[in-house]
Amino acid sequence: MTSRGTPSRFLRSVLQNGVGRYVCQLKRISIVFSKKAQSSLGVRDFIEEGVVDYANKNPGTVVYVSPQPCRVPKIVAEYLNGNVREETITSKTSQQISELLTKLTNQSGLEIIRIRKPFHTDSPSIQGLWHPFTNRPPSIGPIRPTKGLTKENV
Amino acid sequence: MSASMAYAGLWRTCRMLLPRHPVLSPAAIRTQSSASGDLMPWTSLSRPPWPEQPSPYSAEEERSRHAAVVSTVNQRINLRDFGRLFAVVHFAGRQWKVTGEDLILIENHIEAECGERIRMEKVLLVGAEDFTLIGRPLLGKELVRVEATVIEKTESWPKVHMRFWKRHRFQRKRIIIQPQTVLRINSIELAPRLT
Repeated sequence: MTSRGTPSRFLRSVLQNGVGRYVCQLKRISIVFSKKAQSSLGVRDFIEEGVVDYANKNPGTVVYVSPQPCRVPKIVAEYLNGNVREETITSKTSQQISELLTKLTNQSGLEIIRIRKPFHTDSPSIQGLWHPFTNRPPSIGPIRPTKGLTKENV
Repeated sequence: MSASMAYAGLWRTCRMLLPRHPVLSPAAIRTQSSASGDLMPWTSLSRPPWPEQPSPYSAEEERSRHAAVVSTVNQRINLRDFGRLFAVVHFAGRQWKVTGEDLILIENHIEAECGERIRMEKVLLVGAEDFTLIGRPLLGKELVRVEATVIEKTESWPKVHMRFWKRHRFQRKRIIIQPQTVLRINSIELAPRLT
């Protein structure tokens, strides 16, 4: 669908993140996988090698590892603004899963839809908004309708 | 101080441009532009629509007025007498008008982790409420400091790129997902040293 048929939002951050200190927006990560299925092979390798390093690198995120009898291994990411994102990781390698995790960590929980403007300000005007009398010296006289071509405005 | 403040309304943006070219009549400018390619071509926007009034001050008076303006601005900057500052910054191939605490979305990947502070070096213009400093084309690095934090590094929404030719049975569809970075401008600082 095009941008008119899909929802859109303005650029914003969660609770003015970055004005003071930066807070990682990822609250909780649950890795749901199966102990024996072939699709969870990469997940199992990742859990052997990379999960502990990831958890140490991101002290603000809680990592849950839950082996369950399931066909489709998933990562469920919950963010500070309450949004939940599920990504399936069937037949992915350990490297791909760690890249996916860094991508989820770097995101804020806002929806990935069309962003209307690539900027956002709370104080758009500092010197005052322009109106037709700014920078117009009063010696010129009041604004009158011009009567076509005259000597002045050739 | 009072003399320069009286003209503050007239010189709302105190430009540091001294008059380079001598003041010519419009006819002379028109003939000169064809001879030397120095001046811009003459359009309807080349001069304002009101009649041009020659400056009632002589050249020395103009120079002294300009010096007064520069000293006022210098004083303001030394006493840190300005409120909020804005800056025009060249970043990622685009120019952004930027204040403190505002957000910017860059459509590519930046080599900085989330939470790191970045300094933007190409500053073209800095302004406060009463004065503006215009760079030619950039302002010095020891004069302005614009700092930003990387907040978020995501991907864009999946954009559809479709090509279709009618009656030729040709259509291609491609989903484009671009990396995006969100920056929060933390501060714009002006150093109290102007020449």
